[in-house]
Amino acid sequence: MRYIPTTEEQKKEMLKKIGVSSFEALIEGVPQNLRLKNKLNIPEAMSESELEDKIYRIAKKNADFYSMKPLIGAGSYRHFIPEAEKFLLQREEFWTCYTPYQPELSQGTLQSIFEYQSYISRLTKMEVIIPSIYDGASATAEAALMSLRLTHKNKIIVSNLLHPHYRETIKTYLTPHETEIIDLPYKNGLVDMDKLKILIEEDVASIIIQSPNFFGGIENMAKISEIVHSKSILLINVITESMSLGILKAPGEMGADIVAGNAQSFGMDLNYGGPYNAYLGTRKQYIRQIPGRIVGETVDVDGKRVFVMTLRAREQDIRREKATSNICTNHNLNVLAANIFLSLMGTEGLYQISLLNTKSAHYLENLLLQTGKFERVFDCPFYNEFLLKSKDDISSINKKLLENNFVPPLKICEFYQEKNLNNVLLFAVTEVLSRDNLNLVAKILSE
Amino acid sequence: MEERQQMSNKVIENLYYTKSDEWLKVEDDVGTIGITDYAQDQLGDIVYLEKVEKGKKLIQNEILTTIESVKAVSDVKTPLTGEVTESNVKVIEDASIINKDPYGKGWIAKTKIDNEDELKDLMSAQEYSEYRKE
Amino acid sequence: MKLIFEKSIKGRDGYSLPRDLFGDIKIEECLPEYTISKDKKLLSEISEVDVVRHFTKLSKLNYGLDDGFYPLGSCTMKYNPKINEKLASLSNFIYAHPLAPEETVQGCMEIIYDLNKLLCEITGMDEYTMAPAAGAHGELAGILIMRKYFIDRGDVRHKMLIPDSAHGTNPASAAMGGFRVVEVKSNEKGTVNLGELAKLMDEDTVGLMLTNPNTVGLYDEGIEEIEKIIHGKGGLLYYDGANLNASLGIIRPGDAGFDVVHLNLHKTFSTPHGGGGPGAGVIGVKKDLIPYLPTPNIAFNPDQKKYYLSDAGEKSIGMIRAFWSNFAVLLKTYAWILSMGPDGLYNTSETSIINANYVLAKLKKYYKPAYDRYCGHECTVTGREYKKYGVKTLDIAKRIMDYGMHPPTIYFPHFEPYAEETIMIEPPESESKEMLDKFIDIMIKISDEATTKPELLTTAPHNTPIRRTNDALAIKRAILTYDDELKLKDELKYQEKDIDF
Repeated sequence: MRYIPTTEEQKKEMLKKIGVSSFEALIEGVPQNLRLKNKLNIPEAMSESELEDKIYRIAKKNADFYSMKPLIGAGSYRHFIPEAEKFLLQREEFWTCYTPYQPELSQGTLQSIFEYQSYISRLTKMEVIIPSIYDGASATAEAALMSLRLTHKNKIIVSNLLHPHYRETIKTYLTPHETEIIDLPYKNGLVDMDKLKILIEEDVASIIIQSPNFFGGIENMAKISEIVHSKSILLINVITESMSLGILKAPGEMGADIVAGNAQSFGMDLNYGGPYNAYLGTRKQYIRQIPGRIVGETVDVDGKRVFVMTLRAREQDIRREKATSNICTNHNLNVLAANIFLSLMGTEGLYQISLLNTKSAHYLENLLLQTGKFERVFDCPFYNEFLLKSKDDISSINKKLLENNFVPPLKICEFYQEKNLNNVLLFAVTEVLSRDNLNLVAKILSE
Repeated sequence: MEERQQMSNKVIENLYYTKSDEWLKVEDDVGTIGITDYAQDQLGDIVYLEKVEKGKKLIQNEILTTIESVKAVSDVKTPLTGEVTESNVKVIEDASIINKDPYGKGWIAKTKIDNEDELKDLMSAQEYSEYRKE
Repeated sequence: MKLIFEKSIKGRDGYSLPRDLFGDIKIEECLPEYTISKDKKLLSEISEVDVVRHFTKLSKLNYGLDDGFYPLGSCTMKYNPKINEKLASLSNFIYAHPLAPEETVQGCMEIIYDLNKLLCEITGMDEYTMAPAAGAHGELAGILIMRKYFIDRGDVRHKMLIPDSAHGTNPASAAMGGFRVVEVKSNEKGTVNLGELAKLMDEDTVGLMLTNPNTVGLYDEGIEEIEKIIHGKGGLLYYDGANLNASLGIIRPGDAGFDVVHLNLHKTFSTPHGGGGPGAGVIGVKKDLIPYLPTPNIAFNPDQKKYYLSDAGEKSIGMIRAFWSNFAVLLKTYAWILSMGPDGLYNTSETSIINANYVLAKLKKYYKPAYDRYCGHECTVTGREYKKYGVKTLDIAKRIMDYGMHPPTIYFPHFEPYAEETIMIEPPESESKEMLDKFIDIMIKISDEATTKPELLTTAPHNTPIRRTNDALAIKRAILTYDDELKLKDELKYQEKDIDF
C-alpha cells in the first residue's frame, strides 16, 4: 500500500529487534475474545483511479454549483476567492503542519495568526482577538458561557433574530448550567427596543444580538449598548457575514463587550456547511476568561522578534477541568485562508466589495419590488440580505429560479412560524451576482 | 532571559510547611503565607496571581488563590483556618517577585489564626526538606 | 520576519474587482449614516506579488509533514494523501450551499451517510453523528448525550470518572457538561487501577472516559473488568478515540462495551492537520443512545431512493454547531477508508504498533521507558536520568530540532509515579524504517551530548530560523496585535536584523 512504506521483510526484521517472534506477542494485552475474527466488512481497497471515478460520480449527483448563482446566505455566503489564496494555502508547510507548540519550527503559522488577529482587531475594533473557534454558532455559545463566568450570573437574553442554528447551539451548550434563556422579540425587523428596556435586569449576565440580523436588518448597536450598559450587563455582538465589516461601523466602536464572528466570508468555500471558522473578540480586561488559542509577540534569545502561543494557562492541557473551554484542535487552516484573503483584499478591496454587496442587494430589492409581485415585510435598514413577501407561491418561485440555475433564497417559514412571515423569502446578494444576473432574476420572477 | 539560582529546594528555618508546598510564618496571632522555593521552581516563570480578597474567611486547606506560570497553574491552599487580613499588592502587580524571593518579598497573604492546634498538622523545615528531597 | 503591515505601501492593491461597481447607486440611499463606519478600516496595501512572496517566505519558516517525521505522541501525524485533497476540491462540493434544496446536494448527503455506515462497521457502533468539528467538540456532545440519557430515566448523576493519564480535553469537556471530575489513578503497570475504579464507581457516577490504548500507549488489559464495573452500576463507557490507530481491524470499541465513541478524523483518518485544524470529532453511539444524537442527521428514504435531513427527535441534545458537519474533512476521511480497504486498515495498526515497539526497544537503553512493557502505536520514554546533568526533557526536545526533525510530545501525559519528564513518540504507519532509524540515531546522539556537552542542549536549538523564545515576556507584554506593538514601539526598540530575517 503506497501510504505504508514498511515491507513484510522489514516487519520481520523489526520484530526480531524488538525481541518477539510474531506481531501477536505485541498485542497480547488485547483480550482474545474481543478480537476481530474476520476482516472488517467494508469495501476492498480501491485504486487511486477507481476512487477518483467513484467520487466524481457521486459529485455528479450534486448540482453543478460552480455555475449556479446563489440567492441565499443565511450564515453561509459565496464570495469570490482569489486563486492566489488557494495556491498559497496548499503549501505543505501550511497544509500538513501541526499545532504550533514548538515556535522554533512554526513561525510561519504563528506570524500569520498574529497578522490575522491584527486584521480582525482593526475590523471589529476589539482589543483582544481569539482567531479560531470552530464556527459562528459554537463561538456564540462560548461567548455566552464566558459572560456567565465573568458576571457570576445565570441568565441571558437572546435576540430572536440571532441565526436559528446559533440559538439552538447556545441552548445546547448552556443546558448543564440550567441558565435561564430569555427571548428578545423583534419589531419591524429589528430587536424590539421597548421590550429590551423591560427585560434588562441586574441579574442578566449578557445580551446576545446579531447584526446584521438573520432577516438582514442592521441593528442600532450603539443605542442598544446604551440601554444594556445602564445595568451591569455584557453586550455580545454576533456577526454571521463578516464581509459587512468592510463598510459597517465596528462593534467595538458601538460598545460591544464580546464579539463572535463567522469568518467564512473571508476566503472559505461553502463546502456544504463546513469547515468554517469564527473569531471571538473582547476587551483586554476579560482576557483571562476568553477561550481558545491566542498568539503573542516576544523575542528569542538572539533578540529576534518572534511569535508564540501565549496565555496558555487558560487552556485545557494546563487547566484541565478548570479550563475556560475544552477547545484543543480548532480551525487554523481556515484562519490562514482568511488571513491571506484579507491580505490580498487590503483596505480598499474589502471596502469596495462590502460596498458592492450592499449596493447590488439594494438594486435587486428595488427591481423585485418594481415587478409588483413582492412587497417589503419590514421597513428597516439592511446590508446584503432582505426579506420580501411574495404574491405568488414561494415554492413555485424557487422552482423557477432553480430551473434557471440559481440557488433559491431561503423560505423564512422554515425557521419562523409567524403568520405574517408566511410566503416570505430571505434573499442574499454578493459580488458573485452580476447586474445581468440580477436583471434576469427580476425578469424570471415578473412572469 | 533571567538566570535563576540553582537552588530548587531552599528551605528557611522557623517556618511551617505544608505537603502542597506552602510556607507559613507565625508572628503573634498573624500568619503570613507564601509558596516554597521548590514550588516556584516547579512552576517556572510565574506570570499571574489571582487577587486575594481581604476579609475572606477560609478553612484549612481551602484554596486561597491560584498562581499561573507560563506552562502551569497551581492552587495555593491556606495552611490554617482564619480570615485574610492582608494581601500583597506587589506580587499582584509583578508576580515574578515570587520566583525571585519566595520567602521574603514574594509573600502572598496574611491571615488571622483561628485555631493554633492546626499548627500540629504542618511540617517543620527539616521535615519538609526531607519530603521534597528528589 | 517582517509583518505584512511593515510591507504595506499606500495605493498598492492585491485585489480584483468586477468592472461594474453599481456606481449608479448611492450608498446614502442604501444605508443610514449611523450604520456606516466613518473611516475605512485599515488592513494593509500589498500587491498580489508581494502577498505571494510574503506567505511563501513564511511557509519556509514552518516544518511540515511532507518535510519529515512528526513523532508526536497522540497526534497520529500520518501522511495526508494528495488525491483526497483533489477530490475535496471538486466544484460540485466546494460551491454547495448548506441550505440548497435537498435534491441538489444528494452527492454530499450520500458521502455523509455512507461514511456513517463505514465508521459503524470499523468501530462496532450503531450510529454516528457527523456534526462535531473536533475531538473536544465531540467529547462535549458525547457527554451531553450521556447526561440526557440519565436525566431521561429519572436517574440524575453528578460525577464522571477520568483516568489521571487522560488528555486535558476529557476533564475540561466533563466540566463543560456539568459534571464533577473524579480522577482514577493508574496502577504500577500504567493502566487503570481496577481496585480504585471499583471503589469510585457508584450510582452517582455517569461513567468512565477511557482512551485505549491510553495516553502512554498501553492497551488496558483490564478492559473487560472495567466494562463490568462501569455497567455494573448502570454507568456508561466513553471511548476517546484519539488512539484508534492501534486498533483498526484488531479490536472495536463497540465490541469492548463502549457506549459512546469519538473519533479524531484528523488523526487516525489521515485528514491534514493544517497547523491546528480543521478536523472533525464524529461521535458514534450504541442503539439506546441514538435518540439523543444531535440534530439533524442525514437519513435515506429507500422508497424514493433519496437522502434527506432528518430531525433527530425531541430527545436530541440539540445542535452543537451551525449546519451539518465539516463536510470537506468527512470527504477526505471517506476517500482514505476506501483507499485502504479492510487489509489496509489492519496493516495501518499492525505497522504502527510494530513501529512504536521498535523505537521503544532501541531507545530504552538510553531513555528509561515510563513503563517497560510492549506498547501500542505509541511509546512513552522519559528524560529523567539526564536531570542530573542539568538537562531537562525540554532541552532534549529543542536539540532534536537541530537535527532537522520535529520533537515528540513532551511532558504529556504527566502522572505519578512513572509518567514524568515524559517523551511520547508515535511513529504512524506512513513512516519508513529508515526514518525511524534516523530518529533513533538522533536520540542516541543527543543522549550522549546530554552527558558530555549538556550546554548544547540547554541552549538549543541553534539551527532553526529562530531560537528559544521568552514566553514569560510574551505574557507580560501582552502584544496580541500589530497595534499593540505600535503602542510599545519606544520600549521595544527592534533593530532591522531583529525583524528582517
